[in-house]
Amino acid sequence: MSRATAKIEQHPAASSSNGLLVAVGLGIAFLTFVAFLSVVKQGNLFNESNLLYLSLIFYGGASALYIGFGVTGVDRYVKFASIATTIGFVANTLAVGHRWYIAGRPPFANIYEMLLSFVWTLAALTLLAERKYKVKVIGTVTMPLAVTSVILMQLLPSTVRPLVPALQSTWLQIHVTLAMLAYAACALSFALAMMFLIQDKMKTETFLASTSGLVTMVYLGILTRFEKWGGLSVVAWDAQHKEEISISKGVKLMVTIPDLGWVFLLVLLASAAPLGIYAWAKWRKQENFFTVANRAVFISIVLQIIALGAFVLRARNAAYTSLDAEGFYPTALAASPFILCGLITGIFASLLYLMLYWRRSDLERLLPTADGLDRITYKTIGIAFPLLTAMIAAGAYWANRTWGSYWSWDPKETWAAITWLVYAGYLHMRITRGWRGRRAAYFAILGFVVVMFTFFGVTYLLPGLHAYS
Amino acid sequence: MAVQTSFGNRVFRTLASVKTGIILLIILGVVAAAGTVILQRPVTDADQMTRAYAPPTLRWLDATGLTDVYHAWWFVLLMAMLGVSIIFASVDRFPKAWRMVAHPYRRPEPHFRAVLPMQRTLAVDHAANAVGVAETVLRKAGLRPQRVTGNGETSIYAEKNRFSVLAVYVVHASLLLILAGGIVDAIWSYKGYLMLTPGQSTAKLEPQNGVERPLPFTLRCDGTGQENYPDGTPRKWWSKLTVIEDGRETLKKEIVVNDPLVTHGIRFYQSGYGQTGEVESVVLNAKLGAETRQITLVPGTRAQLDGETTVRIAEFIPDYVTRDGQIYMRSKDPVNPAIRLEISNPAKAKSEAWLFPAVQQQQGDATYKFEFVDMQMAAYTGLQVSHEPGQWAVWAGCILMAIGMVMAFYLVHQRFWVMAIESKNGPALWIGTVADKNREHFQESFTKLIDDIRVELGKENEKRRVPAGKQLVRA
Repeated sequence: MSRATAKIEQHPAASSSNGLLVAVGLGIAFLTFVAFLSVVKQGNLFNESNLLYLSLIFYGGASALYIGFGVTGVDRYVKFASIATTIGFVANTLAVGHRWYIAGRPPFANIYEMLLSFVWTLAALTLLAERKYKVKVIGTVTMPLAVTSVILMQLLPSTVRPLVPALQSTWLQIHVTLAMLAYAACALSFALAMMFLIQDKMKTETFLASTSGLVTMVYLGILTRFEKWGGLSVVAWDAQHKEEISISKGVKLMVTIPDLGWVFLLVLLASAAPLGIYAWAKWRKQENFFTVANRAVFISIVLQIIALGAFVLRARNAAYTSLDAEGFYPTALAASPFILCGLITGIFASLLYLMLYWRRSDLERLLPTADGLDRITYKTIGIAFPLLTAMIAAGAYWANRTWGSYWSWDPKETWAAITWLVYAGYLHMRITRGWRGRRAAYFAILGFVVVMFTFFGVTYLLPGLHAYS
Repeated sequence: MAVQTSFGNRVFRTLASVKTGIILLIILGVVAAAGTVILQRPVTDADQMTRAYAPPTLRWLDATGLTDVYHAWWFVLLMAMLGVSIIFASVDRFPKAWRMVAHPYRRPEPHFRAVLPMQRTLAVDHAANAVGVAETVLRKAGLRPQRVTGNGETSIYAEKNRFSVLAVYVVHASLLLILAGGIVDAIWSYKGYLMLTPGQSTAKLEPQNGVERPLPFTLRCDGTGQENYPDGTPRKWWSKLTVIEDGRETLKKEIVVNDPLVTHGIRFYQSGYGQTGEVESVVLNAKLGAETRQITLVPGTRAQLDGETTVRIAEFIPDYVTRDGQIYMRSKDPVNPAIRLEISNPAKAKSEAWLFPAVQQQQGDATYKFEFVDMQMAAYTGLQVSHEPGQWAVWAGCILMAIGMVMAFYLVHQRFWVMAIESKNGPALWIGTVADKNREHFQESFTKLIDDIRVELGKENEKRRVPAGKQLVRA
């Protein structure tokens, strides 16, 4: 289907492909120069935020080149994007090192630090995948994600805060490090499984349906905050103390942003539309629905970006009424990290689908064989699973030292165990039942979905002892 | 009638199958997830439960045990079935694995040689010599080749990481160990709470569920405190504890959060800290005329002012408010204290002074004027107590699992056979290998090994000044 509509690729003339390279190079040089000028006055050149900004510039350049590849299909962009990623990674490592040195502990204590570690891991994985696994296009996914994360970080309180007594433990550092590594390995296995499905000639329509399904789930999750008369509830934020406002212990004050609920509801319908069209066409065995569905995807992307803009504008620095207390209470973007993550994930996934739709043949050329990807996915899970096990064991030992119980069936603990069970299932089906190919890839994707729920869903939707992150 | 496998045999086969295991894992996963979404009983207050669910729903949830999933009898049964499934599956498959370890297949029989996927046959001139050459090459590669004789033939067998075949059983045994630890704790573990002020000792835990639990020793608190960061947030809570047995002090430790006191298998964790609202000592300046004297008042004792006059603390309120002319205590923190002093002199009538240190005021009919200098509040320390005998099985299981996983994922069982055979073109050397993981990588290293053997054979032939052997390469 997609081949019929894809154009025959004409590789653009060398001169026009240099245009983007020159533009990106100049952009990086300009931004670095401007930043250098503004910073050199302060005297302290090599501090964490300057180094992070430098890495942002280079990751941004890399993203532009990777996306440029996504749009035009010129291979050279990937090569230079890789160089930019490497430089950004060095700066990122220095930033992490500086923060570690200043705080006297690795950066894992709050969401700002977790994002910092996450961005570092993304860059590390990108370079690892390119060098070791020869998968050169993974930057199209990871670098824009890194850029978005660094931008998100600017909203969060970044002061190095000393640790509360319960977090002052070596076993905590071990547990969180293992968690980051395990989740990174799971994310990599997810990406590899998706690439396998591309190389295994899974139809582009199926990708369309899955992407649409994912975005629909995100908006359904956000719409759990839908209030009467079309408002959206968000957590209230105390700008002075840089923390959420609580009514009582563990219960946060929520304010209602009016009309935002309707906006998200509209976007939900637009995002579900491609899936609906797909389902209807399958049922009716219509073949030419695909163009219509893709148009629906374009519309949904536009609406998603509008929804993101609306949310950012209204949730940024404003005060709203609350259903729980009298008067107006302020909120800020820092109070809603998960909604932001969800919105960005939705846009991201939709754009990735578009890239697949436009550049499928190029991707198939640049990615390893399906068989190779199947084996690499298995090897990656062979790394992820022991890490997950060690993470759970270290967490249990830490819990035992802090709260006197190694297993309290806390939601986060329970979901970590469920994640472990899913990956154990993958290994059993593969080793003992010989599952390969598609079925193994689906299992790997399911595993990552459960990882995401454990990491985000539990904190966002379920309460518990794991209140720190 | 065809021979039927016995009923017991069929039950065993079903329980030992991977399918059963996977189904049990799925059910366990779904049920555990349900327990995170449905409010659970011990942690959620009863009135929160009644607010969250409609009465008929709540009755149904309680009846099915969904409000305490992880302790419901059917959940325990599921875990037990999972344990049984692991045991049966291991028992079913272990003998075969053990045979591989105890009786390795050393001689490559003709039918084996015919079907082995990774093998090569090289034409040689002198078979026995070639076998020797191959043995040397294998030894140089870090393997330990053994000569196998039988039927008048000599062959070579070399293997690496034989025990990694048992890795799977190690991992599953570790799971059983962890399960066993959990069961032991489910039956025999207990938790409790203690509140002690400095100087106080106790030999029992606070009653939980009406059950009072005595300790096999006395625990005394010698001090407790809180340290803060410059911005006021808590940095550290500490308690100095002493264990006393038969009148002797057997153990002293200062504990903090994350660093408990462990004795007799019982652990005491620094869990809470707070103000009792009582005062330990007050330091005042007492003035009469030109004379000023500093006194320290401790509740229950009298301090000497002069001659026959003494003073004592009659009443202490850490944080007071007045309403309708009455004095009330607002909190236990020393925010706005009030001290009532009673000055006694046998010759005169008792006089009284109310001191308000926060505003440095005094009221009452005392002739002495008191100025507040300092005071120490009595704090209490909250200790979480737990006894978990099964935890050692759990930690042993974790370590065993780590070992098992390293064996399972990263150690590869490689086997090599070398044999001199007669092919249609004359004497030949047959080399075969098998690896249980990572076959692509071992394909490459096998090719390299064959090249090494060829090179060595070439050198041998040079030495004998015989033309180099032609190669029959069978893929």
